[in-house]
Amino acid sequence: MTIWVFPRKRLRGSHGWGSFDKAAGNDSEISGKYLGGKAHSMIEGILSGLKVLDFTWVLAGPYATRILADFGAEVIKVQSLKTAKGAESNLNGYFNTWNRNKRSITLDMSRPEAKDLLLRLAGISDVVIENFAPRVMANWGLTYEKLKEANEKIILVSMSAMGQTGPWKDYVAFGPALQALSGLTYLSSFDDDQPLGLGYAYGDHVIGLYGALATLAALEMRLRTGRGQCIDLSGYEALCTLMGPAIGGVSLNQTPAHPQGNRSDHIDACPRGCYPCRGTDRWCVISASAEDEWQALCRAMDRADLSNDDRFRTLSVRRSNEEMLDELIGRWTAERTAEEAVTLLQEAGVPAGVVQNAEDLARDPHLSARQFFIPLEHPVLGRTLNDRSPIRFGEDETVNWKAAPQLGEDNRYVFRELLGLTEEEFLHYSEKGVIS
Amino acid sequence: MGIEGPEKESLLHGIRILDLANEKACFCSKVLADLGAMVIKVEKPGGDSSRRMGPLAGNGPSGEPDLFFLYNNTNKLGITLDIESEEGRTLFVRLVEKADVVVETFPPGYLKTLGCPYEVMSEVNPGVILASVTGFGQTGPKSGYKSCDLVASALGGQMHVSGAPSTTPLRAYGEQSFYAASLFTAVGILLALIKRRRAGKGEHIDISSQEAVAGTLDHVLVRYLYDGIIPKRQGNLAWNRSSFILPCKDGHIHISIAAQWETLVEWVAAEGMAEDLPDEKWKDENCRNQNVDHIMDVLQRWTLAHTVGELFEIAQAMRFPWAPVSRPQDVLSSPQLLAREFFCEVDHPEQGNSLLGPGMPYRFDSFPSGPVRRAPLPGEDNKRIYCDDLGLSEKEIERLSRLGII
Repeated sequence: MTIWVFPRKRLRGSHGWGSFDKAAGNDSEISGKYLGGKAHSMIEGILSGLKVLDFTWVLAGPYATRILADFGAEVIKVQSLKTAKGAESNLNGYFNTWNRNKRSITLDMSRPEAKDLLLRLAGISDVVIENFAPRVMANWGLTYEKLKEANEKIILVSMSAMGQTGPWKDYVAFGPALQALSGLTYLSSFDDDQPLGLGYAYGDHVIGLYGALATLAALEMRLRTGRGQCIDLSGYEALCTLMGPAIGGVSLNQTPAHPQGNRSDHIDACPRGCYPCRGTDRWCVISASAEDEWQALCRAMDRADLSNDDRFRTLSVRRSNEEMLDELIGRWTAERTAEEAVTLLQEAGVPAGVVQNAEDLARDPHLSARQFFIPLEHPVLGRTLNDRSPIRFGEDETVNWKAAPQLGEDNRYVFRELLGLTEEEFLHYSEKGVIS
Repeated sequence: MGIEGPEKESLLHGIRILDLANEKACFCSKVLADLGAMVIKVEKPGGDSSRRMGPLAGNGPSGEPDLFFLYNNTNKLGITLDIESEEGRTLFVRLVEKADVVVETFPPGYLKTLGCPYEVMSEVNPGVILASVTGFGQTGPKSGYKSCDLVASALGGQMHVSGAPSTTPLRAYGEQSFYAASLFTAVGILLALIKRRRAGKGEHIDISSQEAVAGTLDHVLVRYLYDGIIPKRQGNLAWNRSSFILPCKDGHIHISIAAQWETLVEWVAAEGMAEDLPDEKWKDENCRNQNVDHIMDVLQRWTLAHTVGELFEIAQAMRFPWAPVSRPQDVLSSPQLLAREFFCEVDHPEQGNSLLGPGMPYRFDSFPSGPVRRAPLPGEDNKRIYCDDLGLSEKEIERLSRLGII
């Protein structure tokens, strides 16, 4: 496939923006002075040359910027000694997972000079992205207006829990709380009495995906019109977009959607469910909606008699005798390993799958054939395995991928080479603890 | 390029998408349509099978609209076309010539059997971006396997860690694997559009719902890959045991005890319900996590004395990341969502009603969201696309319609 025809070039001048737009073919003329030093290209990719000033933390924001970084954007993660703890501690696996392919700089944000440096960095960046409560960036004086003064074409992406406006704008929440608030937790349960929900922060990924989507859409518009953008993304709303049919139903005064476990009023499939298999905590799922899938299921179970059985012949009678049918199937699956049962079913043409745990995923031959996990060498953690992006292009985007940065690893590169501070200035800020 | 002119333009103005996706990815082009792309939904004559998802739409016995279809196809135009017929395929190729993006969810290899794989599309339109969304992707030993949301949720690792230790694994509500795959696809399409500006050429994007689920698992893979731990189901207790759900007088609340423990204890103690929680030992996070059942017992006696709303308001005033466990009806009356005018009213004159749906989760300073166009009826925009765009005569359309091609 295509080799990158546009080498990364950096421009300096009163407008730092422009290099990405020009390389992206928006403007054939490349002028201006290149910055001193060679281009330390992190990754060559679709977004090579795009500079993202990244204030995000924990998962939702870092996931958004990881998507950009995976595809070649130069993501500069702004950290500090004070905040590099827990999920933001550079040497844990969680941090390494969500911050690969990024750079790290350290600034002490309580120092006014740090804000000046950030505004100057914004001047040469394409995107500024953050997932704080709204007051944080404002307290630092990093409002859209200020950023726009520094860089007219800046794209500011704010990804707070509730959005920048409204009576709850200062409320704080992580993914699981937003899953609860959106209705996803209540509905992902077996009954009304005990809300269960998902066993992980799915919502943060959804918010991150929307963050990347909004950034790229704004970039698409900027490449077309030259205009920057201020984006107010609400995590709460992001989760609610996944509840469209349930919300629509309530607005029509229908019986509100309720917890249904693995069953679904909305899907015409029977049998459909999760069945026990041989071994401890081993399960498979089966869903037969079309008539040929039901016939195939009977064949796979070697129970051709069932397809002529009056209790199961049509979808509607199968629904009325669902418990009986589930028990029959459960007895069949329990005699087999989940893998055996699913292979028999799929070979016959029945939608079925093993309920895979983390270890199953890491060993899944299909995922492995698709190279879903790739190794990355980390200077401290050693060889790490990483799930790559589910976005697959014809060419391998993982060439040149790097593990997550160590704290402040790129201070010299970013402040000296990208921003163009003199050695004297750089040492001055470092000694004063502004760059820390 | 002036700034005044495009000021009112939508973000994806001028991007033209052919949407051949069924329920597996119709959300993808809906999201892009909301951002201003022109999306043409191409259905087989009579309508796509995804119209029949949910409580049967219009044509069902109750006459109720199919909410899944209606929600996932707003702001799209609708045409019908039998791409399996010779003439239909020719028309399809003409549509591809004018398109920037094609989204499809057919089994891998199906477009090839029609004589219309990516290579052929690319020949007539080198810039075209084809996004293929399937259960297992275009390659690999299981690419021919059958999938659905339940199968993707199981194989992608979502179900094993959801549910209680005493229950079967539990699927996420509402076809989440389709939504996740759709969002990845939408991001991939925007990346491909940007790449096209440099490379001058389109792309074939390959999305697997299994990978979309496996790629959105938060701690699940991380803990295995780094610590060799296989995460298990533990009800609504978070993996790190620092958040959980407790019952109140009138519902349930999601609580976190990860930070500000002492503030929480003061609050509960002020009401005389802290029991032994003020003990020094509970200040240690590890100690709390190891005895979280006890902590939950004590806190539950306290939460049961309150309403969800009271606790939420006070907790948030102290910046605790707590939240009510809302039902869909609560979401629709959320003061925050109402203040931000999040919900969009979609008129359905044919059904004689209008319904509310979630709007976009983001606001752009340049782009006020406009009215929402309801999902198209099958072939509603045939004339506009075939006559006005491709230049077919009305007679020609009548003929194709008689042949069952349109």
